[in-house]
Amino acid sequence: MIYLLLLPAIIMLILSFSNIEKSKYILPVTSLLILFPSIKLFFLPRPYSVIGKYLVADDLSAYIMLVSSIVAICVTLAMSTLGLHVKISKKAYSRFYRFFAIFWIGLTLSILANNMGLYWIGLETATLSTVYMIKTNNTAMARKEAWNYMIVGAIAISLILFGIILIYASAKPILGEDAMIFSSLLEHAKEIKSPFLFEIGFAITTLGMFIKMGFFPMNLWLANIERASFYPVAALFSGILESAVMIGFFRFSKIAQAVDLLHVFIFVFIYTILTIFIVSFLIYRAKDFMRLFSLSGVEHMALIALFWASGGIFAALLHFGAHAFLKPALFLSTGILESSGKYKIAGALRGYRGIKGKIFYFLTALFLLSIVSLPPSPMFFSELYGFAAMVNIAKLHQHLLLMIGAIIILLILLSIIFYKFIEIYQSMKYEGKEETKVVYGNEVLALIIFAISLMVLLTPWSFEFLRGVS
Amino acid sequence: MTSFLIGLFIATLIVALFTMRLYRLILWYSLNSLSLALLAITIGYSINDNTMILSGFLTLVLKAILIPYILKKVSVKFGLSRQIKPNVQIHYSIMLIPALLVFTFYLAEPITNMMVSNANYVAISISALFLSLLLMIEHKNIAPKIIGFLTIENSLFLLGTTATGGMPMLIELGIFFDLLMAIVIINLLFHQEEEEGLE
Amino acid sequence: MILYTTTIILMIVIAPLLPSFMKMVKMTLLYKKPISIFQGYRDFSKLLSKEIIVSKETSSITSMAPFLVLSPLILTLFFLPPIVKGEYFVSFIDAFTITGLISLSTFFLMILGLDSASSFGGLGSSREAFISALAEPAMILTVFSVSLMADNLGVGQASINLNNHFPFEHMASFIFAGISFFILLIAENGRIPVDNPETHLELTMVHEAMILDLSGFYLMLIESASSIKFMIFSSMFASLFMPFGLHLPIILGVLVFILKLFFIALLVALLEVNTAKLRLFKIPNLLGIAIVFAFLSLITFYVLGV
Repeated sequence: MIYLLLLPAIIMLILSFSNIEKSKYILPVTSLLILFPSIKLFFLPRPYSVIGKYLVADDLSAYIMLVSSIVAICVTLAMSTLGLHVKISKKAYSRFYRFFAIFWIGLTLSILANNMGLYWIGLETATLSTVYMIKTNNTAMARKEAWNYMIVGAIAISLILFGIILIYASAKPILGEDAMIFSSLLEHAKEIKSPFLFEIGFAITTLGMFIKMGFFPMNLWLANIERASFYPVAALFSGILESAVMIGFFRFSKIAQAVDLLHVFIFVFIYTILTIFIVSFLIYRAKDFMRLFSLSGVEHMALIALFWASGGIFAALLHFGAHAFLKPALFLSTGILESSGKYKIAGALRGYRGIKGKIFYFLTALFLLSIVSLPPSPMFFSELYGFAAMVNIAKLHQHLLLMIGAIIILLILLSIIFYKFIEIYQSMKYEGKEETKVVYGNEVLALIIFAISLMVLLTPWSFEFLRGVS
Repeated sequence: MTSFLIGLFIATLIVALFTMRLYRLILWYSLNSLSLALLAITIGYSINDNTMILSGFLTLVLKAILIPYILKKVSVKFGLSRQIKPNVQIHYSIMLIPALLVFTFYLAEPITNMMVSNANYVAISISALFLSLLLMIEHKNIAPKIIGFLTIENSLFLLGTTATGGMPMLIELGIFFDLLMAIVIINLLFHQEEEEGLE
Repeated sequence: MILYTTTIILMIVIAPLLPSFMKMVKMTLLYKKPISIFQGYRDFSKLLSKEIIVSKETSSITSMAPFLVLSPLILTLFFLPPIVKGEYFVSFIDAFTITGLISLSTFFLMILGLDSASSFGGLGSSREAFISALAEPAMILTVFSVSLMADNLGVGQASINLNNHFPFEHMASFIFAGISFFILLIAENGRIPVDNPETHLELTMVHEAMILDLSGFYLMLIESASSIKFMIFSSMFASLFMPFGLHLPIILGVLVFILKLFFIALLVALLEVNTAKLRLFKIPNLLGIAIVFAFLSLITFYVLGV
């Protein structure tokens, strides 16, 4: 199984060193291979152990693996026409695939890891490989942001390791070397002798993850980095790398909830409300697509964390899946939306001709409206379930009024974001000059795959599956 | 002996904070890793833990010799500025560093109370973490920031050895692998810039 | 009591050897023909035979101050930790007393510089005040933290305690104190990173500027005072930071002590050869490092020592 999982990445790594002209076409095809092991994992009996106790595929990781591999395939599809939209050298192109392969190895490791240390190693590998992807865009700003990402990412990752060491130290007296294993930690969470030490470790780990996802107070760094890099890289960031961070948050907070439910909830609650408060106003001032989408990504990550911490596992996973499909789709479409200039929002949705153009226009408009959770979108349902979960947890602790107040504030903040997106949509659709924009087949194909995946996410079958995840 | 080495560890870090020359800074980093490696070897020897002795030797080879050597080579090759002036002036950091130390010792007190063994070393390694963050903050140049990142790694390694009595072997090796990868990436990031300069 | 007096006389006798020894090592390392180790004595005898010239503008302070510079230092010699087993020592002397006496001597030196009524004297005095004001807190903190480690505030008893039972659990704290004290040893004695004792360049000189007008017997007093000051510092370093050899038989003990002194002098000489003199306005940074380490030593004493 492990060979199947890593094979596409290794093939890509080897191919990227070859100088053949055709490798440009072979590489995206190779990435299609990613899908098979993910689907196979999905149909195997779970929890399925890939390597002993180290890599275990349970419901959660199988789901996230599947979502990530779909996103990865679409990103590589769209990547093949990147050269037609922006200037990119052949060397940078093969370099992108080389680091994508390393990225994928790290990501597989961290998603499937049942071991805190392995999770960290995978995450670090993935982070470091993305540093170089930013630099495929050969501008001064991208170089600066690559350094920025290197430094801030390294600090965030180090904080995560710091927390992991403290958690390990807190659980080692009762579990020995098994204190690294997520599942045994979860089983014995109640027996941990020094819960305070564990909680400090959890808080620091979470802080590292939140910095990595661009939460308060590091709201803008991710937006700047995504602005500086090419759009497929931004799609990778928001679609896949953040899922790797998120699955870590899911696993750590699960254990922390077993230690003390209320502490985790209050910590995540305050942090995420603060994040959404700041991000909503930042979104209101956003002037280009990349920053807009990136900041909205931060907002959705905060919502997912909030729903998960308040016990709405179903809501969090649904929101997570929807975001993981919608956001890369939007990032990929920015390549075309911005083809007449970086800061030209007005008229971006006009001037599409032919059947490809029409499909592109339709899907992008749809995605743009679903990201602010207009009813048919999965996000609408997930937010409903999520708020229900928040009310439920408040009922348990007799803070119902406070919680309803908080939800109202949250809704006001979300409506600010909603207003901004609608305004942008109107300006894209009805203002500005009509300029002809070229759309390529594989980009439309990528968007169609995303749309189909979103549709599948809304079927009762997948709802059933998500409810079963615990 | 451990106490001596741990003192050396934090002393080299503090001197690194006052350094204004790049090569000197790399030297202090190397000495910092050297004391860390010796510490891991002595602790591993005293508790009879082969894993820790091995990771101590790895630290010695990798962090004390190889990485400083590579950094020196990189900085010579790409002509990095050898004068690194901290943003925080030295007479402020004279006041800042003791304040930071007292603060972190105070901060670490509840954690150290929970620790089973080597409680005080945990306090030292947490303050080393904060000092290396200060090293990253107070410099504008990129090279001291890299050194700061590496010293963060060192202080986390110290925390791992003293607080938990050593992490599992696989994890240690993975962390070393990632460190090497970070160095490769740093090298590549510099490399590209040189290419730009030539064109 | 005889032992006590003998050791003090021995220290006074050895004192001029150390600066000459340092100079000798430096010259050897710089491929010059080294001076004799007894050059210090020769200088003194030469100065003794010369007549005293005192400037017209000076007051009576110039004729008094050289004695007042030397006498607190001689007094300090009596208060130093014992160097051999069973020697008498003054038990109530702590960090404050020693620092105070040394500062008293520095105070008279500065007065002397000001009194010479030349522009260099004032310049040297102000620089000396600047340096010693920064060195004092570090000195007090360092000696204090060593005394804490040795479980006795008295310097003499502290040294004996360190010899009898070395506190290995406070090793880290001990190292910091050692680093701090070594920096102080360099700063207070005007060795190279802080002051160059060999030049008369007005841009850099500190100690030399204050005694530029002196001659003959007075100059000899001041020169001997500076060599005794080095003696005080190095003997404190030897007995507090190299705590061994107090249990040896008397002759061997004295020999080991003298070896330690020469080892310190060698260390300082090597440092002098390898470093350039700091700019005057960078000296606070160096002394700041000393203060940080002294402070760190105190904190780690409380944190690490359970």
